[in-house]
Amino acid sequence: MITNKFSSINFGRVLIYSILIFFAFIYLTPLYVMFSTSLKDIEEIRSGNLLALPNDPTLYAWVKAWSSACTGSECNGLAPFFWNSVRIVFPAVIISTIIGAFNGYVLSKWKFKGSELLFGALLFGCFIPFQVILLPMAILLSKLGLSNTVSGLVLVHVIYGVAFTTLFFRNYYVGISTELVRAARLDGAGFFDIFRHIFLPISTPIFVVTIIWQFTQIWNDFLFGVVYSGAGTQPITVALNNLVNTSVGGKEYNVDMAAAIIAALPTLIVYVFAGKYFVRGLTAGAVKG
Amino acid sequence: MGHIKLNNVCKSFGSTEVLKNIDLDIQDGELLILIGPSGCGKSTLMNLIAGLEEITSGNIVIAGDDVSDKSPKDRDIAMVFQSYALYPTMNVARNISFGLEMRKVPKEEQEKTVNRVAELLQIDHLLDRKPGQLSGGQRQRVAMGRALARSPKAFLFDEPLSNLDAKLRVEMRTEIKKLHHRLGTTIIYVTHDQVEAMTLADRIAVLKDGVIQQLGTPYQIYNDPANHFVADFMGSPGMNFVECVVFEDKLIIESGSQNYQLSIPCSDSVKSSKLDSVILGIRPEMLTDPKPHENNPYIHEVEFDVEVIEPMGADTIAIGKWNDTEIQVRLSPESGETAAEGFKLQVDTSKAIAFDPRTGQRVR
Repeated sequence: MITNKFSSINFGRVLIYSILIFFAFIYLTPLYVMFSTSLKDIEEIRSGNLLALPNDPTLYAWVKAWSSACTGSECNGLAPFFWNSVRIVFPAVIISTIIGAFNGYVLSKWKFKGSELLFGALLFGCFIPFQVILLPMAILLSKLGLSNTVSGLVLVHVIYGVAFTTLFFRNYYVGISTELVRAARLDGAGFFDIFRHIFLPISTPIFVVTIIWQFTQIWNDFLFGVVYSGAGTQPITVALNNLVNTSVGGKEYNVDMAAAIIAALPTLIVYVFAGKYFVRGLTAGAVKG
Repeated sequence: MGHIKLNNVCKSFGSTEVLKNIDLDIQDGELLILIGPSGCGKSTLMNLIAGLEEITSGNIVIAGDDVSDKSPKDRDIAMVFQSYALYPTMNVARNISFGLEMRKVPKEEQEKTVNRVAELLQIDHLLDRKPGQLSGGQRQRVAMGRALARSPKAFLFDEPLSNLDAKLRVEMRTEIKKLHHRLGTTIIYVTHDQVEAMTLADRIAVLKDGVIQQLGTPYQIYNDPANHFVADFMGSPGMNFVECVVFEDKLIIESGSQNYQLSIPCSDSVKSSKLDSVILGIRPEMLTDPKPHENNPYIHEVEFDVEVIEPMGADTIAIGKWNDTEIQVRLSPESGETAAEGFKLQVDTSKAIAFDPRTGQRVR
């Protein structure tokens, strides 16, 4: 009997692992194909097997994608657009996160008449589809003189991101005892003192969550990038699209693959290094909240 | 110095009145307990004094200063919270000195104060730890240390012991009492535990539905309660309440299937009140096994059918019925062993009181 029981457990395990491995394989195959194709030369791609390892790995496609591939009429590779994205993402993430932290602090610990309504309205912002605000935002940007600029894109992303960052911080801070605020007020601490000395130091997990979320959202954004950017201010997602659609002679699949990986690399790296904090932060907020 | 006066203080949340016309005069150095069931407004009253909530009308005077419109930090009072509310990322030393830091006290002085307070509360070996690494009792001490550091005009304690286990609670209770004797600072202390109230208080204010039912010394509150509610709330096991028919100036009880006539100190007022029946209030410790006594009109002997025995160690609580109402009596452990039907119970009514059954007010 006992051996039967064990063998049935083992059978279940085997089944579970085989299913997991099977799905992991399905999910990872495209990445593998992209990576191996990016290391092949164009001859090998035309003649060879899609799934085969490269015979003679070369970084040619990577170098070309980075520095000399054509994205429309320009042929400077993705590099300038990569830096555009960096110049958009960093300020947008930092500003929206800071505003979100403050909003969350006020909406959870310094409630005022109508603060719940305000929070509801902000929350509504999470559900507005991008397409709806395209036109009004374009008008706003032109009135502000920010059309086709990096600052304009930063502004758009900050506005759109504040709804999410506020939600994250507010839900995190709601779980923190209001008696802390009261104790600090009696200790003579003011609004900013309490935020700086008491709330900021316990906010690391939620900062990690928010920063990863915002970074991924903004880095991967295509729609705002394509609508509100000018010739010199396009983010990398838009440039990738242009690169793939621009064909000089035959299609260079290896360059396309390398370019796609370059465009996705920063978010991949963020997940690899901070992914566990992301999951931990999300669950910590959920359980304690 | 730490004289606190509340004049006609009211507090409403929207249309709900939580505190109604509270008048309190707390002497310098007094330990006043606010007690009442949950939802009676005792914590709200504390928050009003601290300035964490605004009063709707009336005023609050601390040390001769009307502080009704002042923010908490300008009232010079310190508070110990039920959840301790220690700053989780700061170590014990910084938790204690944070209030001084915010008030721009020089560094050396902060250090001196931290050391003095830590020594007083015997937490000097914990100064580098974070609150998360402390036990409940240690956190409690740190929370008190934080309040002590500023040497405020008064301390507010909001159910400070309710998160501790029973044994530690008794220890800390004694400690708070000692501390109060040593410092002589005014303390307002909120609790729902009547033992804590009796043991700690100089005076007790019993609250119910936002109204002070009675303000008095523990002795007055226990022995001379203003109404049914106060009598019922204080004491463990609680006072027995039995509705009795009034016959001339005596109360009729049926015990062990016999009727007895009890005379009580307020018999005259019972007679003149012309009530057909009153509620007799008598504490379990006045219902005992027979003891020798001098000729005393308030000592009666009745037969009592014991139904349940609850040995407590020092004495035994026996439960039976008077007038079909369950009552508790306090027997010696020895007679508790054998108590059964027809037990001879000695009833001392010298401290018995009577209530009007309709209003719950005392008949005096």
